[in-house]
Amino acid sequence: MRILNSLRAGIFRALRSWKGVLIVWFLMFILVSAFMYPLRSSADSAFGTSMITEKLSDGFDIEIFAGLGPVFKSLVSFFISGILIVYLSGFLLNSFLAGGLFNIVREDEIKFSGKEFFRAGAANFWPFLIISLIVTIVIILLGLILIGIPSHIAGASDNLSEKGAFNLVISGAVVFLVIIPLPVLVADYARAWKTVNGNSSCFRAIGFGFSYTFRNFLSSFFTMVPLMLAQIILGLFILKISPGWRPVTGSGLFLLLIFSQLILCFRILLKVWRYASITYLFEGSLKVNPANQ
Amino acid sequence: MRETLISLTGLFLIIQIVSSQVINKLPLSERITGYKIDVTLDTDAKTAGGNMEAFWVNKSSDTVPDIRMHLYMNAFRSNRTTFYKESGGSPGEEEKDPGWIEIKSFFDKNGVDLLPMMEFIRPDDGNTEDKTVIRLLLPEPALPGDTVFVKINFVTKLPSKIRRTGYSDNYFFVAQWFPKFGVYEPAGMRYATSGAWNCHQFHANSEFYSNHSVYDVTISLPESYVTGSGGKLISETREGEMKTLTFRAEDIVDFAWTAWPDYALFNDKWGNVNITLLIPKDRIKQVDRQFAAVKNALEYLGQNVGPYPWPHLTFVDPPSIGAGAGGMEYTTLFTSGSSYFMPDFIHIPELVTVHEFGHAYFMGMLANNEFEEPWLDEGVNSYWEERIMDHYYGKNSGVLDHRMLKIPDIAYSRLSYVLSPSRQAVSNNEYSWNYPHGTYSMMSYLKTATWLHTLEGIVGEETMNNIFRQYYRKWAFRHPSGKDFVNVVNEAVRTDHGDKFGPDMNWFFDQTLYGTGICDYRVSGIINRKYLKPAGITESADTVINTWPNSDSLYTSAAQLERIGEVMLPLDVLIHFTDGSEALESWDGKARFKDFKYTGYRQIQWVNIDPDFKIRMDVNFNNNSMTKDPPKAPLHQLFSKITTFVQYFLSVMLL
Repeated sequence: MRILNSLRAGIFRALRSWKGVLIVWFLMFILVSAFMYPLRSSADSAFGTSMITEKLSDGFDIEIFAGLGPVFKSLVSFFISGILIVYLSGFLLNSFLAGGLFNIVREDEIKFSGKEFFRAGAANFWPFLIISLIVTIVIILLGLILIGIPSHIAGASDNLSEKGAFNLVISGAVVFLVIIPLPVLVADYARAWKTVNGNSSCFRAIGFGFSYTFRNFLSSFFTMVPLMLAQIILGLFILKISPGWRPVTGSGLFLLLIFSQLILCFRILLKVWRYASITYLFEGSLKVNPANQ
Repeated sequence: MRETLISLTGLFLIIQIVSSQVINKLPLSERITGYKIDVTLDTDAKTAGGNMEAFWVNKSSDTVPDIRMHLYMNAFRSNRTTFYKESGGSPGEEEKDPGWIEIKSFFDKNGVDLLPMMEFIRPDDGNTEDKTVIRLLLPEPALPGDTVFVKINFVTKLPSKIRRTGYSDNYFFVAQWFPKFGVYEPAGMRYATSGAWNCHQFHANSEFYSNHSVYDVTISLPESYVTGSGGKLISETREGEMKTLTFRAEDIVDFAWTAWPDYALFNDKWGNVNITLLIPKDRIKQVDRQFAAVKNALEYLGQNVGPYPWPHLTFVDPPSIGAGAGGMEYTTLFTSGSSYFMPDFIHIPELVTVHEFGHAYFMGMLANNEFEEPWLDEGVNSYWEERIMDHYYGKNSGVLDHRMLKIPDIAYSRLSYVLSPSRQAVSNNEYSWNYPHGTYSMMSYLKTATWLHTLEGIVGEETMNNIFRQYYRKWAFRHPSGKDFVNVVNEAVRTDHGDKFGPDMNWFFDQTLYGTGICDYRVSGIINRKYLKPAGITESADTVINTWPNSDSLYTSAAQLERIGEVMLPLDVLIHFTDGSEALESWDGKARFKDFKYTGYRQIQWVNIDPDFKIRMDVNFNNNSMTKDPPKAPLHQLFSKITTFVQYFLSVMLL
């Protein structure tokens, strides 16, 4: 019941925060476009007046890009370094925006205020950055332990059968996927706690995140599972429809852009649903045990 | 005297055995050489040793004073052999693990001990550490028509690092394992101006060359081992914990075999060909894919080149511990390569199977010298592999067939060639070990396949099929050279097209096979100018205005083309005008530049050289076209999707 209540309350609070969702979408779109637009212009320029790009109407064609020769290598290099820069910038931006989002999904925040959103984001920026950094490192370490080490063992072992090696790696990956909600819960509880306890240390927040996650393991975990499943289903939906949609006209392209951005807004809404549901669970603990405040 | 009698009896027996027909009704080849081998696999010592009786028939009109044989396994003796000097690394995991072959006794038909007359020679590089070729001075020279009979006791130690041959734990792939005759080439055969043995050392980037032979091979090994070979299983007997298998193979150029307790064995049939697959038990779900691939290749090559003449075929999917044996061919036995987890959209296992099976034709039957002209089997076979893969697995998806990314086989080989910085370092016509800077595979496999597709673009697919049908009819079970192939091309093209391409196609091969130039054409400009009416003092009447009365909206247009590369090939040029009309022009591609000019009320909208991408040798397709209105939508569509994926990626990765 507690799980359903948290999910239901999370939906309402997320929908209530739609302006915050739009702010997050817009800033992320600007960030990614600032990287992708020059890349697209470079590709436009590289192909010049050639008609070869018509072949892309049938889907990605490796021969077309490889035909660019050294320019293609430059584009790939630009893309890889660009992704890295965008990720790092996005990490900072997300730490800022998450502060605003966790603030507006609280029970007592009924009316959205842009000023309050950005104030909360600024106030929580450093602690949220450290929380995100630590939890991200934990996730990477878990990935290395649960997927990297089995992969290495599978590759190096002469005695392991192919089936055994495959099953070892897959088992590691499955365990990773099963426990990935835990560090995410830790991060979310820590941030929810930090939003309420403004002056406390972020490390205390992380400590609270760990202890609260494991103290309320079942309700927390099974609240997180449907939230993450919804996000996975959305990802699969995008993968399913995107390759087959190949508009060739300007209006078709515009429609593709609008549709894909709506999907991304929805993706951010799902994330805010997660924030709100976890915040609801955390607020429930305050009512039971005000010492958590 | 007793030894002589025994040897004579042996000679009689072996000649009787190899001349009898067990598999096909009639011999497919001349059978200049034949082998009867009886070995035991010692799975602890990792050796295969025993006796071999073999013969070579002097079918030339020369008196031949010696014989030459390959001892390929000595390439794995140390890291000082030519094989390892060229490839680096070491032949074994430990000191005890190198491979070698030792001849313990060597007799002729009269029982004369030939061992003292045996010497190691190094015809290619003089490397004294290399013992992969022996020369044996015969007690009496072999006269025309003579048969040289030898009886050898040998032991072969397999190397632990499998490079086509060797062992890994209890897995054995036994290839290049017995003393094997070189090929005696009399004057007039291939490039020989006088009779001589063609018997090269074992090189890192080299395969083999030998006569079509009959093999009777008896192998004794522990009973638990599942075994496969290029021969047909004639008998199997068991005694205690050992079993003895007898295989017979006719008219093939090499005999290899494999043994491993964990193979699962599957049989299938295509026409009258019995197909056997040995595959690790873990990979049983790959069986259907593998059989489908080999049947596709049998069907396609049977239709377009010639029939597969043997009633048996064995192929092996080596386990990961024996992966070094994968992707190799021994005519009626070949090795593929897959893994336990192989998604259906990745066609690599099928590709390897199709390629290695194709070698049954290109060097199995059409037995060129792989040492000296690797392009003639690897390149030609790659061309057919690409045709088969893209025919059966999708025109755009021969290698990879995923909704997000498709890669045709034909594109893979072309890109490997055109993107190679060393694509002009050397011509295709090199001995395999002489390709510099790691260009062996790129040149012999991929450049060749690319220019063969280009040839197909010029003469057409049906003529290409006719070329190979004729090549098969004329040269199957013989030893064609590159020039023999070119001659067949010239004949077939002339038959199909008359003088359309000139008296022969040598101009094509001089540039592609024997040349190092690249092919690159580009559209350098599109000119559309308002027609200028005569003004000032002119001395002749303006014929244009007479033809086109409304001269105010008259244009003179030109499509400007350039040849950037050295290679000159005939091309189609498609020119599209603003009124929707099109002109398909032909250009011989010889001049450094060419302008196609037009006068009329229409303007040129776009120009496309080689619109059907027939000239696959062109190293840059992007500059083959020019338009006044570049199509931006496809590129923008792609980048819009990438933008979405990057946004989604960020959304997922950021907490």
